[in-house]
Amino acid sequence: MKITSLLVLKCQPEGSDPVILANASDVTHFGYFQRSSIREFIVFVSRTVAKRTPSGQRQSVQHEEYMVHSYNRNGLCAIGFMDGHYPVRSAFSLLNQVLDEYQKSFGESWRAAQADSTQTWPYLDEALTKFQDPAEADKLLKIQRELDETKIILHKTIDSVLARGEKLDSLVEKSSDLSAASQMFYNQAKRNNQCCSIL
Amino acid sequence: MPVKVVQSSFRDRTQEFQSVAGRLRKSFSSGADQNGPSSSTSRADEQRSVVAHQSEFNRRASKIGFGIHQTSLKLSKLAKLAKRTSVFDDPTMEIQELTAVIKQDITALNSAVVDLQLFCNSRNEGGVSSDTSSHSTTVVDDLKNRLMSATKEFKEVLTMRTENLKVHENRRQLFSSTSSKDSPNPFIRQRPLAVKSETGASNSLPQWANGSASSSQLFPRKQTDGESQPLLQHQQQQQQMVPLQDSYMQSRAEALQNVESTIHELGTIFNQLATLVSQQGEIAIRIDENMDDTLANVEGAQGALLKYLNSISSNRWLMIKIFLVLMFFLMVFLFFVA
Repeated sequence: MKITSLLVLKCQPEGSDPVILANASDVTHFGYFQRSSIREFIVFVSRTVAKRTPSGQRQSVQHEEYMVHSYNRNGLCAIGFMDGHYPVRSAFSLLNQVLDEYQKSFGESWRAAQADSTQTWPYLDEALTKFQDPAEADKLLKIQRELDETKIILHKTIDSVLARGEKLDSLVEKSSDLSAASQMFYNQAKRNNQCCSIL
Repeated sequence: MPVKVVQSSFRDRTQEFQSVAGRLRKSFSSGADQNGPSSSTSRADEQRSVVAHQSEFNRRASKIGFGIHQTSLKLSKLAKLAKRTSVFDDPTMEIQELTAVIKQDITALNSAVVDLQLFCNSRNEGGVSSDTSSHSTTVVDDLKNRLMSATKEFKEVLTMRTENLKVHENRRQLFSSTSSKDSPNPFIRQRPLAVKSETGASNSLPQWANGSASSSQLFPRKQTDGESQPLLQHQQQQQQMVPLQDSYMQSRAEALQNVESTIHELGTIFNQLATLVSQQGEIAIRIDENMDDTLANVEGAQGALLKYLNSISSNRWLMIKIFLVLMFFLMVFLFFVA
């Protein structure tokens, strides 16, 4: 489950190409000579997809072996390139987070952008590395995983409690035998004192 | 081996037996007709109710026993099926059906046994003879034990089946390395990915309207779909996007429901855990009392033994003294005589 790239674009009202505001790509697993072409490819596909995503919509496109998820919110569009195994829901919640973070840090200044910005946004790079595991992005997935682990632990606990119950049962039997034996012992000792007069 | 005809004195009491049976039968039918309680008929009523209860109890117990027997037969079939699963020919559907059926049976039998026990307790409070009450409690305990062993077998069969599945999955991964789903946790839920396709269709409008109307109450995000209605000329895209939005929302709703049901299950598990632990606490208290009794007994026995020891040793002293006195007298007599 891998995220290859995360982008934030500004979608123009109609017609013209979207403007790239932030770009974080991880192309390290391609050969050295293919990297620049891969980056161009990412830029081009993200522009196309963002152009075709109407405002307020989520969209997922299958392109070769990548899934491109895009979410357009009021003209600000977040796009993620993920492989097929990444769960769709986590992808969209990740895009949601990215958009929130962008709006928090840049406010509304992006509306004025006309050309591709070349500055890197460190949050996006961190997000790319942090969210390789979908559980980080999607709280629901994390909660579900933790709950399942808890359920497994509880099953083991119940098994051990049942074993404990069996041991307690054997203990109670042994202790009742012990008390009966000690009572007989006491009676025997008492009887020694009584009827025989030692001569 | 020739049988010697034994000249045993026997009395033919068949007539008495038949008269008693006829009398009882008459008292049954007469007790059923009468309404007012009188001493003899009340006793007959009691007897009849006792006998009716007894037969009712027997009937229910035999039904439960039969049910347990059938369930154990099905369980053995399930065990055989689970054992013989091979990698390619997996009777999963049958196994799942059988598992569901057996689970239902076991829960039904469980509730029936609990009912039977309540019934038996309620009847035993009516001051019946101790023999019948002990017999009924023994029968109920036996049924409970058999049901528990059947449940244990069921659990073992299920664990064996999951292990087999895991082994098969591993072997499958060994042979086909490309299609490896990266899900070590079998509970990861994934929605099917929606693929965009350029299909033109004219029935997108009712789909759109139905989609937005049904889920707009639940998800405020869907309100934006209403705003984008003027873009109806992109019918093709929207036909794909509505299912995607729906599937996204649905997947979120489904995930939430899963989380909620998991939490609920955890709650029940905790409750069962608490019940088990409280029952075991009672057992622990009993063990403690037993040990206290043992301690008291052993201390008393030790005291008795000490007294015994004292008495023995003091007796010996007494014996020595007496012996010395005797010796002294002997010496005196010897001197006196000699």
